[in-house]
Amino acid sequence: MPSTPVSDAALIARAVVSDDRHAFGELVRRHQSAVRATLRKLTGGNVALADDLAQETFLLAYRNLKSFRQEARFSTWLYRIAYNAFLADARKTKEVPLPEDMDADDFESPPQENVQAGERASTLSIDLERAMAVLSGAERAAIVQCYHNDLTHEEAALVLGCPVGTVKTHILRAKDKLRARLGAWGHGNEA
Amino acid sequence: MNRQPQSEQDGDWLEQALRTDGRAYRSTYVADDGFSSRVLQVLPRAVTAPAWRKPVLALLWTGAAIAALLAVPSLFDDVFRGAVAMFVGHRLGIGDIAGLLIALGAATWGTLIYALRTD
Repeated sequence: MPSTPVSDAALIARAVVSDDRHAFGELVRRHQSAVRATLRKLTGGNVALADDLAQETFLLAYRNLKSFRQEARFSTWLYRIAYNAFLADARKTKEVPLPEDMDADDFESPPQENVQAGERASTLSIDLERAMAVLSGAERAAIVQCYHNDLTHEEAALVLGCPVGTVKTHILRAKDKLRARLGAWGHGNEA
Repeated sequence: MNRQPQSEQDGDWLEQALRTDGRAYRSTYVADDGFSSRVLQVLPRAVTAPAWRKPVLALLWTGAAIAALLAVPSLFDDVFRGAVAMFVGHRLGIGDIAGLLIALGAATWGTLIYALRTD
């Protein structure tokens, strides 16, 4: 008979009450992929930096586990810690801006209609990834939380530590910038 | 001027692209590759105070208080006996003080034994 997986809440309780490191280890195993992937997005694909920040995130989570009030999902709480760790690191190091000479022309033109949809989606995804570099840190974070981590605007606001309206504004601005960068795709779509 | 945001004007291709990218992102699992083990290795060791810390501290404070009383008898006489006299109505004699010290010692040791008991 398959055993029922222990809930995050139960693992947290064991880690807090009995300082059960195995329970915390299970939490790390469960959430490491999402946290590391989020940080990879935020750092623009810098895997080494993302993993360092992810390690710091779990260390901070462990130290502050007693303050987790279960008002949000554990993953949302982790995203918030991860985002704060990313911000702290970004303040220490200057963000590398996209070179000025890189504009919409540098992105690939959309494949022709006769090209398979899969290839089209794949190419768009690559261009989207590159275009994300034009976004400010806050805009990129809002897109990552809402589209990649599939959070609601309210949850994203909690993670980013700003009002819901600000999240929506970041997303609108981000989309406008992305649209400008990926202009060729938009025109291809209108045809 | 009724300016609609650009994002609402020209179709959903970007919205769809972001959602598709998000789905693909969520379906991708970042392999652990020893990450969890590394995290567990850097976790700080739990700092738990030994069980005997509190009773020993209580004993030390009691000892220090008694030592202070014995070291400054005139101050003790002036302050402590005067303060007690305010409540009791008369100054304490040496017998009263001895009884008080014995009661204090008994309470301290009783607390210590209770704290160190094995269940």
